[in-house]
Amino acid sequence: MNCLEVQQALPEMMDGQGHDDLEYQAHLKTCPMCSELVAELELIASTAGQLAEADEPAPRVWVKIAAELRAEGVIRDTEVAGRPVLVPAAKRRWNAWWLVPVAAALVAAGGYFIQPRPAVPVASQDAPGVTRTETAPVVASNEAPRADKAVAAAQNQKSTVAAARDESSSNAPLMTASTSDQKLLDGVSPDMRSAYETQLRAVNAYIRDADAYVRRNPDDEDARQHLMDAYEQREMLYQMALDHVQ
Amino acid sequence: MTDPKQAKAAEAEAIERAKQGDEAAFEVLYNLHKRRVYSLCLRMVSNPAQAEDLAQEAFLQLFRKIGTFRGESAFSTWLHRMTVNVVLMNLRRKGLPLVSLEETLETDEETPRKELGAQDMKLTGSIDRLQLQRAIEKLPPGYKTVFVLHDVEGFEHNEIAEMVGCSIGNSKSQLHKARLKLRDALKFMRAEKAEKT
Repeated sequence: MNCLEVQQALPEMMDGQGHDDLEYQAHLKTCPMCSELVAELELIASTAGQLAEADEPAPRVWVKIAAELRAEGVIRDTEVAGRPVLVPAAKRRWNAWWLVPVAAALVAAGGYFIQPRPAVPVASQDAPGVTRTETAPVVASNEAPRADKAVAAAQNQKSTVAAARDESSSNAPLMTASTSDQKLLDGVSPDMRSAYETQLRAVNAYIRDADAYVRRNPDDEDARQHLMDAYEQREMLYQMALDHVQ
Repeated sequence: MTDPKQAKAAEAEAIERAKQGDEAAFEVLYNLHKRRVYSLCLRMVSNPAQAEDLAQEAFLQLFRKIGTFRGESAFSTWLHRMTVNVVLMNLRRKGLPLVSLEETLETDEETPRKELGAQDMKLTGSIDRLQLQRAIEKLPPGYKTVFVLHDVEGFEHNEIAEMVGCSIGNSKSQLHKARLKLRDALKFMRAEKAEKT
């Protein structure tokens, strides 16, 4: 084999066949140029193998994945599996973060896409579970500690949440909303309905998780706070939707 | 260091919990594999924002299908292959060549300048990984795909041929030419560095 023949055969030889080819091996032993070429290509290949896992994605990637999975119903209420979803305090805090940008995005989207209409008084709506008193524990009496308000809100929401939980096993999107959610969604303009529906489903799922965890861990202040935050987010979504009913 | 057996058991448990829809389990699986998935995407597209989108898509596809995972192959192999498919699909949508026959023809434009005496520089000892990373980024898409899949990610030529839709011989040829291009580029970088100092 001469240099040209060796270099033409390199793609095959470097893939393992070269070990058994005596002519090829003999040429490399006597030709410094070809042996140097092969050594350098092997060095590149071996160094490349050490490059794996050099980088890490930004934290927002998981935030988006989790939000998407929850919205699609892939992440479910894990109470069934006997595990609290909201286990470590840090994780609970993180889990609530996505609700803020979601609500903010909806505020922005609502303001941009929907023609402003006169606000409809919340109490006058025919959605029974949607009154301000029921869905906004933050406006309740200040004499009670915040944590107790969260529990009270949890009690008030019991029927709505239970309905949502019962319905959440279905894959049909509209069937995952509670009756009050459904009434609300029926009034929202069609172009915004799916956005509200998705966000309501996500908030309801979060409330279910938080509610279950608070009941099992009544002394966990962090959990109570997150439950209350979730109700506030839900109230905000209701307000935005009610302000723009058709 | 984590015991590999324990890590494997923890992964298997997380997979089972994820099948039940447990968010914490999804997060465990994500954290176990995020670096490898993101690195693969980044090397293939050389754009951090795009790589994040692709990594996100790969994990979403995986988690949506996790109920069908039966454990015949390693979970990481399954995820890895899914990631490659997501990236290749993205490249196809953009009309970028996965394997380009035209690029196998050397032209003066493609060959790095050698007037700095790059040919005389030897790649002895070790290669600076950062320099290699930069050189890979500059590879034409067709070469980059095969090189990253084979030399960085460890796929075999028959797997690459199946994934990108070319012959095994073509995959070997593309890989060889990619290595030659990288060799030239690395020598050029060394010569340039030597001239500066």
